[in-house]
Amino acid sequence: MFHWDLLSTPEFAGLDNFKQLVSDRATIRAVVNTFVFALASVVTHIGLGMLLALGVHRTMTRGTKYFVRTAFFFPFLVSWAAVALIWKYVLDPAFGLANYYLSSTTNWLASPTWALPTLIVVDWWHTIGYTFIILLAGLQTVPAQLHEAARVDGANAWWRFWSVTLPVMSPTIFFATVITFIGAFQIFDPMVIMTQGGPDGATRSIVQYTYEKGFQSFEVGYAAALSLVLFVVIMIVTGLQFRLGRRWVHQ
Amino acid sequence: MKGKLLDLVLVLSGLLMIAPLVWLIVTALSEPINAFQLPPQWIPRPPTLQNFQQVPDLIPFARMAWNSLQIAVLTTAGALFTSALAAYAFNRLRFPGRDQIFSVLLAALVVPVQLTVVPIFIMMRWLHLVDSTVAIWLPALVNVFGIFFLRQYISSIPRELDEAAIMDGAGHFWILFRVILPLARPGLTALGIFVFEASWNNFFWPYIFLSSPEKMTLPVGLVSLQGAMGGGPAVVLFAAITLVVLPILVLFLIFQRSFIASIASTGLRA
Repeated sequence: MFHWDLLSTPEFAGLDNFKQLVSDRATIRAVVNTFVFALASVVTHIGLGMLLALGVHRTMTRGTKYFVRTAFFFPFLVSWAAVALIWKYVLDPAFGLANYYLSSTTNWLASPTWALPTLIVVDWWHTIGYTFIILLAGLQTVPAQLHEAARVDGANAWWRFWSVTLPVMSPTIFFATVITFIGAFQIFDPMVIMTQGGPDGATRSIVQYTYEKGFQSFEVGYAAALSLVLFVVIMIVTGLQFRLGRRWVHQ
Repeated sequence: MKGKLLDLVLVLSGLLMIAPLVWLIVTALSEPINAFQLPPQWIPRPPTLQNFQQVPDLIPFARMAWNSLQIAVLTTAGALFTSALAAYAFNRLRFPGRDQIFSVLLAALVVPVQLTVVPIFIMMRWLHLVDSTVAIWLPALVNVFGIFFLRQYISSIPRELDEAAIMDGAGHFWILFRVILPLARPGLTALGIFVFEASWNNFFWPYIFLSSPEKMTLPVGLVSLQGAMGGGPAVVLFAAITLVVLPILVLFLIFQRSFIASIASTGLRA
């Protein structure tokens, strides 16, 4: 609630910073970007992660299990700094692997349409291993007898998945959803390294905007107000998830 | 037949996942003229280490590696120590307000680090610690998640063991270090690997606090290298990235079991 550039004496500002926040178009853009990113992140992590976990759970070959688990987990161990740099080269419009194999000439990170989806894909690559391991662990807690019983009752594979697997592992899915959402909402590293928030603010996230305000233009009070908004949004959405969770999560 | 198809799809997707990492390492091992060719080369012919030798010419790599290692080791040791003490207190001791204090700590768990960075930055400025590695490891010496995690772990160790030790005249430190921690070793290992990995890979915090190259950690150094290079030798950057990535991957292959088990059971995440 102060105007402060870190050097002069802080000046009390009342709610000025919050007023500025509501009318600042860049803030609104950053909030929208972050929401889109977080939503897409949760859907793709849980959906594809579930598919992958089901596949690995089902295969009988031990070698395949080991290889897939390790391969999908490797990127999670790599620093975001390294991930972002590697992908910058993979996505390079002229000599990158992506355009070569996709026979495309798109400049992924410089296109206002493609920059954010591209970062969503890179983030997926980086963190899917984590979601996948959690979901796989949840899948392994589903008792085989339940499946047997459902099979005896004549349930087909699809029906068994809906009525046995999903309800039993719903706490795991719930946990993975909450964690993925919180993580995605705090996204910062790939934007800073790969796009600097560009093109034209198309990929700027809330945390990145906070950083720019606080540490580049030294509007510390404004940055603090932004952080508070971030915190409140995370609390609200997590609270909402817990509330909705009561309806579908099996106790 | 159906099983074979599933295996094929799984293995192919696994290969697709590691393709960027394979490309990274292959490129780092290629001669500069052969790197970045299209169609991409998947085997370095002939493999060479010359890019790795050039890394120190571009960034003070050894210095940065030392900073990273120093920070990661101090953070890991400090976090394990304070977490063990606090976890013991929260689980085994009775004192007024214990559960209230613990729930306040839990609330700190959902506060993102990005939120605390502004106040901590101001504090570090008062302490004249900005652009010093101390600013990175000092706030990390207490790890709320570590306290929470070890408390869960310790609560599964039977109290009868403490009581037997008390009968023999043992004090709290003796019980903690001679009875409880040896039994909590799998938990300590998992937490240790996790804290080390998170510190080694951390970008956000050092990026904000460190500005001079000789103070930087590897992730920040790599990113600054990219900016400074312009059209410079990207192969050397790839060699530097490989040197950062490879130790963690090898560490993972060694400790894979306990690492995956700990994630699956507790949901550890950077």
